[in-house]
Amino acid sequence: MPVSAPALSEAIAAIVGREHALHDPSGLAPHAVDGLPPRWWASPGDIEQLGRLLTLASMEGLAVTPRGSGAALDLGNPPRRLDLVLDCRRLDRVLEYVPEDLVASVQAGASLASLEARLGQHRQQLALDPIGGASRTLGGVLATNASGPLRFRYGTARDLLLGVRFVQADGTVTWGGAKVVKSVTGYEVPKLMVGALGTLGVIGEVTLRLHPVPPASGGWLFGFETETSAAGFVTETLASTLQPDRLSLLNDVALRRAAQPVSRLAVAVSVSSVPEAVASHGESLEKLARQHGVRSITSGEGLWQALAPALDGPLALRLACEIGRLLPWLGQLEARVARLGGRIAALGEAGNGVLRAAVLEPPLERLAGEVVAPLREELGAEGGSLVVERAPLGLKKELDVWGSMSPGQLDIMRRLKHEFDPAGILNPGRFVGGI
Amino acid sequence: MELSRAFLDELTRIVGARGVVTSTEGRLTYECDMHTFHKGMPDVVALPETADQTAAIVRLCRRERVPVVPRGSGTGLIGGAMAPSGGVMVGMNRMNRILELDLPNRCATVQPGLINLWLSHATREHGYFFAPDPSSQMVSSIGGNASTNAGGPHCLKYGITVNHVLGLQVVTGAGELLWLGGKVQERPGYDLTALVVGAEGTLALVTAVLVRLTHLPQGVETVLASFASIEDASETVSAIIAEGIIPAALEMLDEAVIRAIEEGIGAGYPKGAAAVLLIELDGPHEEIAVQSRRVVEICRVHRGLEVRVARDDAERALLWKGRKEAAGAVGRLTPNFLLQDAVVPRSKLPRIMREVLAIGARHRLLIANVFHAGDGNLHPLICYDERVEGELERAKQANEELLQACIALGGSVTGEHGVGVDKAQNLLLQFAEADLNFMARLRRVFDPDGIMNPGKLLPSHPACGEGFRPRRPTLPDGAWV
Repeated sequence: MPVSAPALSEAIAAIVGREHALHDPSGLAPHAVDGLPPRWWASPGDIEQLGRLLTLASMEGLAVTPRGSGAALDLGNPPRRLDLVLDCRRLDRVLEYVPEDLVASVQAGASLASLEARLGQHRQQLALDPIGGASRTLGGVLATNASGPLRFRYGTARDLLLGVRFVQADGTVTWGGAKVVKSVTGYEVPKLMVGALGTLGVIGEVTLRLHPVPPASGGWLFGFETETSAAGFVTETLASTLQPDRLSLLNDVALRRAAQPVSRLAVAVSVSSVPEAVASHGESLEKLARQHGVRSITSGEGLWQALAPALDGPLALRLACEIGRLLPWLGQLEARVARLGGRIAALGEAGNGVLRAAVLEPPLERLAGEVVAPLREELGAEGGSLVVERAPLGLKKELDVWGSMSPGQLDIMRRLKHEFDPAGILNPGRFVGGI
Repeated sequence: MELSRAFLDELTRIVGARGVVTSTEGRLTYECDMHTFHKGMPDVVALPETADQTAAIVRLCRRERVPVVPRGSGTGLIGGAMAPSGGVMVGMNRMNRILELDLPNRCATVQPGLINLWLSHATREHGYFFAPDPSSQMVSSIGGNASTNAGGPHCLKYGITVNHVLGLQVVTGAGELLWLGGKVQERPGYDLTALVVGAEGTLALVTAVLVRLTHLPQGVETVLASFASIEDASETVSAIIAEGIIPAALEMLDEAVIRAIEEGIGAGYPKGAAAVLLIELDGPHEEIAVQSRRVVEICRVHRGLEVRVARDDAERALLWKGRKEAAGAVGRLTPNFLLQDAVVPRSKLPRIMREVLAIGARHRLLIANVFHAGDGNLHPLICYDERVEGELERAKQANEELLQACIALGGSVTGEHGVGVDKAQNLLLQFAEADLNFMARLRRVFDPDGIMNPGKLLPSHPACGEGFRPRRPTLPDGAWV
């Protein structure tokens, strides 16, 4: 028999302590997801408390949304229902870190910045750099599969997550993977949690592969005035034996917003290695850029930290396509938004085929029908996608933020969801296909 | 299990008369993989030539509740490609073509039976290679590599197979034929591709693999260093990693293995040393020049005896040939051996190697070592003679103690070979019941009737009686680790 709301408030407070729980509507407003306020907010202090909260939620049928810093709380369709927000930010400890192993086990609520500070003492890094994401939590970054320009060299969360301790919908604390860099013991459970938006379980603790920070690094911003010249430079860099860490593409609006020298398009490159290799890469890149008619070359030290403002704003898109098709798609997106009187600031990963764009001065009422829908249809031909990462609620109600999935894959995903969360309490309705 | 005439007729209609093997002699080839400890002959072998045929086989088997066991080249080391409860073995060897090379997207689509090395041969002239390089790569298939999530010496820098699989065409245990993942590197939804990689055919059969191609590095340097003790070599490994240098590969071979290799193919390893490190650096020219100088210094500081840099490609190739054929060469030292694949955190390498030596001494057994030291991935070969009473028992005991020691140091029971039947029960050392239950339920989502490679990957209760028959616990000559 369901217990009463006051009794639930008591039960939640008994698990996490009164100071880490809220049930008063006025205090809950800031924790609303897509405008829907929860009935409770609780912040567990360890994974056991996280487990007990989920046991309670599953017994009482409470819909749960886990959160970290809240930076990506807008990602996903509006929740079908919401009772309890699980705030993981108190789970912020580094549990195990032996620098010689190049592996760290960390609680999910720790921020990228705090981990970076700790690893930096040993000249090591977690090679995950979502733009403007330093204050984001590890759990949030992994659950949303956030990545940044460093993915070109080091891959994404799926390549860096070795082990995960998560809590299933029924409160069962579960471990998947290993704490060593190589292990093939059973299914790749950690990778199942990456990008799953907490719909199969709530991430409590992660074991990560680290990389050494090379002794030297350099960065350059190459400005081009035509698509052809920028594309030529990118293609030739990709085909060469040069080994950049990052290879990003920015349009003029993004450059202006990030207070960088403005050109029609710019390619931002970073290299890290021994000083001799960084210097020779610089020379080779500059030579290549000149061959392709570069208009300006700026040394880009500190460039990557400065890029965050480029993508700020209430409406953000993420486009994924084949690597070589990034520039044509950027052009398409710019043209379609311009036709509606808006502009986009775009930052793309030229070696990975991923583009993020903030849509500025958008005429919201026409965006779904005249930009998102037609682009999705055209992208579908090459297996690409267009995800609305952040948008005002009105627009979110008009579309599926993820786009459509192939029916066969979606069917397996629904079966997975049904197996591990049959009552649908974990972020209900927010993921692909209504999961 | 006895398959009905009607079943065999229907199977023959799917793949044609030339696509089925029913004779006892014919099926004998398929009764085990390179791990001959466990044998199980399939009732019939089917050799499909298309994904549609493969899907039809799985659907037929599902309807009739007949086990389906996939097989590539049969070079696995865990008893994954044998049929403990009979049924249909699906050999993917006839599907061995490269379907597409897509260099602008840095990927290739291949059929599962394609031999690993063939792909690198086909892409090298364009400046690319397929990074996963299990020692068996000249004969093992990419479908098998994907299904076991194979490693190899160079995964120290480049990662294991899952890091190089962008998509898969599969037939699930429910009979669905579909593509997972794809060329576009980011897509919404659960990462089903990663789940099927390493699933050892328990979730789905793989009918095509979309793999990432990696750019060839600017340059390569290979350093060979010998040491008077395994301890010195182990400390050198830890020191190189601690220095912030991640070589492309960092392999260790001990005295027994060096002797076996030199008596066999003569790769030019220094005889008489207690341990040799094979250290390969690749990347930008200036980077490897600086790093190889530093690596040579570190080897010398840690009492390296002979430290030399391979002069040319020929010398480098010979050193690698010795390494890749090492496990086969150990056949010269011992009639039988048990092979381990456990992993420890890299900083624990000196400690675990002391433990390996102690365990060998305690059980009066030679334990030969050739392994991926940079990853902490051990391959102790516990040598014994089955004709000597009690040696097998002692070898098994030593094996068990070694696994326990690795787990106690925070390691894993298998780093790259996989689980199969051989290590299924060992998962109990590493996982709690809740963890294994999660995986068992995951399996059911893909394979609701339990027909896909039954008895593999996850531990089963002994009472379930999977029916496999333990045999001579040894590896044949020419096995690769």
